[in-house]
Amino acid sequence: MNGIVFRKEIQERIDEIKEADILVGIPSYNNARTIGHVVRAVQAGFAKYFSDRKCVLVNSDGGSTDGTMDIVQNAAIEDFQSILLHHRVRPTFKITTPYHGIPGKGSAFRTIFEIADALNVKACAVVDSDLRSITPEWIELLIKPVIEGGFDYVAPLYHRHKYDGTITNSIVYPLTRALYGKRIRQPIGGDFGFSGKLARLYLTKDVWETDVARYGIDIWMTTTAIANNFRVCQAFLGAKIHDPKDPGADLSTMLYQVVGSTFDLMETYSNLWKTIKGSEPLLTCGFQYAVGLEPVNVNVDRMIDRFSLGVKELTDIWKEFLPKGIIDFLNKAKGLTKEKFHIPDEIWVEIIYSFAIAAHKKLINKEHLLKSLTPLYIGRTASFVLETWDSSAEEVEEKIEKLCIIFEDRKDFLINKWEV
Amino acid sequence: MRNIFERLISEPLEGFLNRFILFLPNLISAILLLIIGLFMGWLTRKILSRLLMILKIDEFSERHGINNILIKGGIKEKPSSLAGRFTGWLVFFIFLIISLSSLNVPAIERLLERFFLYLPNLFVAIIILLIGYLLSDFSGRAALIASVNAGLKASGLIGRSVKLTIFLLAATMALEQLGIGRETIIIAFAIVFGGIVLALSIAFGLGGRDIAKEYLEKKLKGEEKDEIEHL
Repeated sequence: MNGIVFRKEIQERIDEIKEADILVGIPSYNNARTIGHVVRAVQAGFAKYFSDRKCVLVNSDGGSTDGTMDIVQNAAIEDFQSILLHHRVRPTFKITTPYHGIPGKGSAFRTIFEIADALNVKACAVVDSDLRSITPEWIELLIKPVIEGGFDYVAPLYHRHKYDGTITNSIVYPLTRALYGKRIRQPIGGDFGFSGKLARLYLTKDVWETDVARYGIDIWMTTTAIANNFRVCQAFLGAKIHDPKDPGADLSTMLYQVVGSTFDLMETYSNLWKTIKGSEPLLTCGFQYAVGLEPVNVNVDRMIDRFSLGVKELTDIWKEFLPKGIIDFLNKAKGLTKEKFHIPDEIWVEIIYSFAIAAHKKLINKEHLLKSLTPLYIGRTASFVLETWDSSAEEVEEKIEKLCIIFEDRKDFLINKWEV
Repeated sequence: MRNIFERLISEPLEGFLNRFILFLPNLISAILLLIIGLFMGWLTRKILSRLLMILKIDEFSERHGINNILIKGGIKEKPSSLAGRFTGWLVFFIFLIISLSSLNVPAIERLLERFFLYLPNLFVAIIILLIGYLLSDFSGRAALIASVNAGLKASGLIGRSVKLTIFLLAATMALEQLGIGRETIIIAFAIVFGGIVLALSIAFGLGGRDIAKEYLEKKLKGEEKDEIEHL
């Protein structure tokens, strides 16, 4: 696989820096509103926790037109005294560069990995450019387990609103946990720490023309780390509050890219996950505390309408791979009112496993298959919202835990059908 | 009297017999070729069906949805058997052509020549129809899923319309290739297609004024959206 050829000025900058200890990458695309805060938090993190280390901040941009890159170049903490008792001794290096390849977060990360490799860094972290709740402590929490704890991969752990991260809660977390046996609560959290060694491994993989180059990057990084036996831990970062994702981003496309990448990884590591039973918790760094979260606006009636429309129109497609019992259930659920609407965990697990098997057996075009999952996912989300309307964060977490157990218990269904 | 009998009966009969004797080897060879063709067709069918079964073409077709297409078209035979049968008949057909041309009859030769000149058109038309069917099925399903995900109530209609339009286009192209009612078909297609577009425009314009207004208002003012962060 060929590496990226850097632009002349970036190569000169790398030659000038030569080597570094720590690199933090920020992928961006039109994030002028929030990226200044993220850059300042990273710089403060460097100054506060890694003043004796050579640190580099890399902004990998997807062609922003709102001056994102200028803001990164100019962002600086004017008064370090208000944050720190001591000034940082070593300066922070900054590199801002447009990335190459398919437009998407994964391609931005690839450029960050390439620069990390060129600078031979010991530890890296990536943080989203739309974060409003990032603090300098995030940098410490994502980097220190690598530098001082000997870990290779640090996954984030946040407090999120109970209706946030629904693809994570209903599909990616329970499925990844059941498959690979590690309880990584936010496998697609977006803010990760990792060793230079792992960054180099990522670069050896030929995945940059797939959905990994887009939204699939997060689950790919996490799964690659677990499946290749790297030491993994979690870091509690507090609340995750950020600007809404790209408004143009379509839910079904997002679902297709994330779930599609998860299913592709199931092919790559099928010999591994078939042998794993149950799951184990991971070490979690950081002091956990409760946080207040912004309320979330949800229209359950509209979600149920979307689900019903999907069942009415797409049942013929699903009939090709969903068990008859599930089809019968969906047809009954289609006519239910909000008060009676409910998709049980067992049904949901069987749906996800059946989609995974259909993708594995290539029963229909992959994009059609995964995009047809959208109405079912919306229905499941509506059911989850109704079920947890009055629940506290702890109760919701218990509910997710119950779903995970069912994913683990029903794994034999997946294994048996996978091999037939 | 004898002379008349010879000229009227004997000579033509003799001529016919001579021509028949000259033609007989051709006829025998044609019949032989037909029998060989039948045998070769049967043998090809058996061998090819078996070979395709060993190569697991039936499982491959099942995975790629080809079986479904066949079932929808009313064909319940396995693809391996179907391909064997088709090739067997093709082999027999080739032998039939060779056998007919071995007769050396000018009228049949002219007919065969015209048939052979037309054959590529038939082949291209079948290919166009087949690709058209697959493409219409694929695009119809893509349109259906996309419109369901966009929450459009008329998703089913949209999916079926896309499928039908593409297949109609393919059928028009196939018929044009065959030279059947060339101008009529193009004009008919243009009228039907134009009619559909016009009907939709009028329907949306008159019937959907309020919906269009509501849609534009939502777009301009910003649609009320769920604030769920899915990832």
